[in-house]
Amino acid sequence: MNRPELLARLLIIAGILLAVGAPLYLWSRTPLIHARMAEAGGWTPDVLQAEVGKPLHLKITSDDVVHGFAVGQMDMQSVDILPGKVADITLTFDKPGTYTFYCTRWCGLNHWRMRGTIEVSGSLSDPSTRSGQRPEPGAVPLYVSLRLDLDAPHDAPSIPPNKPSAVNGQQFTDELPITNYQFSDYYRSHSPYQVFTDLSTTPLTESQRWDVVAFLWQSNTTPESLVNGKRLYAQNCAACHGENGGGDGVFADDLTTAGESSMQTMAGAMDMAMQAPTDFTDPRRMLGASPALLQGKILRGGMGTGMPMWGSIFTEEQIWDLVAYLYSFQFEYHP
Amino acid sequence: MAWILLGLLAAVVAFAPLPALSSPPQARTLRQGSAQAFEIDARQFAYSPSELKVNTGDTVTIQLVSADVVHGLYVDGYDVSVEADPGQSATLTFVADKPGSFRFRCNITCGAMHPFMIGKLTVGSNDWLYRSIGFSILAIIGILLFPRSTPITNYQLPPTDH
Amino acid sequence: MELTRLPLLKSALKSRYPQLAVFIVMLVGYIFAILAGLIGTPVGSHNFSIVFVWIGWWAILILVAVPFFGRGWCAVCPIPLPGEWLQRGAILSPPDKKPKWLNLRVPKMFRNIWLQNISFLLLALFSSVLLTTPNITGIILAAMLFTAIGLSMIFERRAFCRYLCPVGGFIGLYSQTAPIELRINDKQVCAKCEGKPCYNGNEKGYGCPWDVFPGGLTKNTYCGLCMECLRTCPHDNIALNLRPFAADLAKPSARMDEAFKAFIMLGSAMIYAGVLLGPWGALKDAAYNVGSGAWFVYAAAFLAIIFVVLPGTFRLMIFPSPIGRGAALSPSKGAGVRAFAALSNSLIPLGLMFWVAFSLSFVLTNASYIFAALSDPLGLGWNLFGTANIAWQPILTSILAPAQTLSLVGGLAWSARTAQRSAQEAHVSSVPVVVYCFIVTAFMLWLLL
Repeated sequence: MNRPELLARLLIIAGILLAVGAPLYLWSRTPLIHARMAEAGGWTPDVLQAEVGKPLHLKITSDDVVHGFAVGQMDMQSVDILPGKVADITLTFDKPGTYTFYCTRWCGLNHWRMRGTIEVSGSLSDPSTRSGQRPEPGAVPLYVSLRLDLDAPHDAPSIPPNKPSAVNGQQFTDELPITNYQFSDYYRSHSPYQVFTDLSTTPLTESQRWDVVAFLWQSNTTPESLVNGKRLYAQNCAACHGENGGGDGVFADDLTTAGESSMQTMAGAMDMAMQAPTDFTDPRRMLGASPALLQGKILRGGMGTGMPMWGSIFTEEQIWDLVAYLYSFQFEYHP
Repeated sequence: MAWILLGLLAAVVAFAPLPALSSPPQARTLRQGSAQAFEIDARQFAYSPSELKVNTGDTVTIQLVSADVVHGLYVDGYDVSVEADPGQSATLTFVADKPGSFRFRCNITCGAMHPFMIGKLTVGSNDWLYRSIGFSILAIIGILLFPRSTPITNYQLPPTDH
Repeated sequence: MELTRLPLLKSALKSRYPQLAVFIVMLVGYIFAILAGLIGTPVGSHNFSIVFVWIGWWAILILVAVPFFGRGWCAVCPIPLPGEWLQRGAILSPPDKKPKWLNLRVPKMFRNIWLQNISFLLLALFSSVLLTTPNITGIILAAMLFTAIGLSMIFERRAFCRYLCPVGGFIGLYSQTAPIELRINDKQVCAKCEGKPCYNGNEKGYGCPWDVFPGGLTKNTYCGLCMECLRTCPHDNIALNLRPFAADLAKPSARMDEAFKAFIMLGSAMIYAGVLLGPWGALKDAAYNVGSGAWFVYAAAFLAIIFVVLPGTFRLMIFPSPIGRGAALSPSKGAGVRAFAALSNSLIPLGLMFWVAFSLSFVLTNASYIFAALSDPLGLGWNLFGTANIAWQPILTSILAPAQTLSLVGGLAWSARTAQRSAQEAHVSSVPVVVYCFIVTAFMLWLLL
């Protein structure tokens, strides 16, 4: 074989090896976490390991549509995971425990199923606080300590003729001994309708009593809380419950359809069927629900109805903010 | 000479206003600058409605409602865009001051067929299409009226195989 | 004008080394594209395979290579190379006298472009998936490479390029419009030439890989511009010429396979313009969801438009009734078929310009993806050239519509001129062909503008 021929063969074999070998090698050395729509597999892998105090470096890419990444109950800005792009994220945990990471950008009807866990091992240097992100020991959620049945019907027997106004309600508060209603414990454990009936001992008319209820509800929250609740609602709830709370979000029809078809297939297991999302503008439903009941529903989720469980994602603070915002669909608050 | 005439005709087709197609003056003054609002539903991989018609000078407001994943809407030629998450509809407002037909398309990668998620916005009438068809007519009239002066002779159709 | 008179160009074309250098770069790029498709991000717009094949390569092919260089792409295409090298048992060395493999001749029934018509249509029916899914693109690219290798083992010369390549068919058809041609200088020299080394090979090079005898070349369709004959010709009788555009169409061929190729390409360009660039979501869904009921309807409609509607209307327009004027003028039925095939040739410039107009829109809109894919070809978060984060942005949108009109109206005029010549040969009026061209052009204008 002559020299040029040999050289040409070597060059071509080298070229092919380079074209195959270099990308394969570099690819195998770049472990990526892949984000896909839940139907296509969600997060891969979906269980991550970390150690307390040691930074956890993550490289995440999306294989289909825009996703987002955040860790539940952690004070962090969510990071967008864009298709074909790689996001670099560094997390440091200071408490051991099991954390939930989740998708923060809506990516279809099953967006909320896109969750994974980070198992953080190691021990705390400061033993006075234990068990990571779980609530403080003994602090069971209010709905549990009140023994509320989250799935029982709770419609208010009667409803106000107009939207109750907190501004009107304030006028009567000076004359009435209602300060005890203003404690947060009372507010959280009572539905607006219960407060309305409790106020029946006062000389106020029915519509005046509803106005007072509106005032009480507003005085148990803050403008910051409402703003925060509104933001959480838009990001996490509006796609099903509707941007204006009407239960008519973009996925509402899909949920209803899914529910109807599953009722046909699993007759008898109606509790588990998907349902149309709750309409927060429906006074019967909302005025009969206490903040603790709503907290429970958000925390636990709908157990198969299509309502996600948010307990591992929102902090207690965030859930109360959200609850406060939900009542604003019923009451006219001060500007 | 004939070609100069055709060239002039082409210039007329290219630049003459199209009287029959523009709205009468009164209607125009009434309509010009009016507000046009659309709610566009976006889902993989189509907009609905996907064809919008507005008048030149209208202030166009598009409320983009994403119904499955995050979508965007970018208007060719106007270079304006908006992005909406499901549950968080977003609004795009611009003044449609450039007449013609424009594609609008998704500019947030939304799955496989994303590059072809396309709608059409027509501002005023689609004059350029009519003018282009006018050019086509002129071209074939020119060619039919003035056939090639040097026809190729001494050529036989090639025989077929059978 | 004879380009091979330029000494520098001639020696560059005659030498094997510049070509080999291009081949190696192309082959490495091609294999990298396969790998990128298979292991890179599944997001097409950020994967090297999709961006470089369907945006970069396609733009160069349709907007530059085919209109100006004809089969210029085939001259540097990497797909047949591994097979050809194995077939020859050498890369540069002169060929052995004894064939290394089966070296069969392709059966006569396949020695036309019907297989290419079919392979193109097979890809076209799945194009929405192919264009957007890196995996599928990687698999198809690999399949073409290995099919070419396999065919090189079984048949002589470049059987894949000549008879099966889905792209080769239309490049060949449209290369007739290109202003470049490979021809012989003197017919007498070839007639007297002993052994015909350009076809059979000699110590300087290989016999025509495209199974063409250069001495008989009258059109570009099947000449791959590989330059072997330039190397083997002992009489220096091979020339690369610059010529007027579409010179080959003055001598229309009357082959049905080529006639239908013209309709396939014209129809596909219109269907793509409507499905991919139109505002109709249901069409896109049908085209994308391969295997669904809607897709079968789409596929059936696609085939019906290409094989029935377009050629049928054409047939009816040029011969209004079976025993109408055209048939009466034609001495036999065969002549009618020949006239149909010859007149279909006038659709070639229009078809090419349809593709130019369609591709302009697609390419200008998505060209900006090239920058990001260049820096991060696999979607692994690299930034090789600092361009990984360049955002998507359509370019030159203001000239798009005028450029499309120019292409389409230009194509119409070009086709009308061609039709006048072809009609003269076929002894029929050119008016129906011109009107036909006008109708499809107006439709395409409506689809694109």
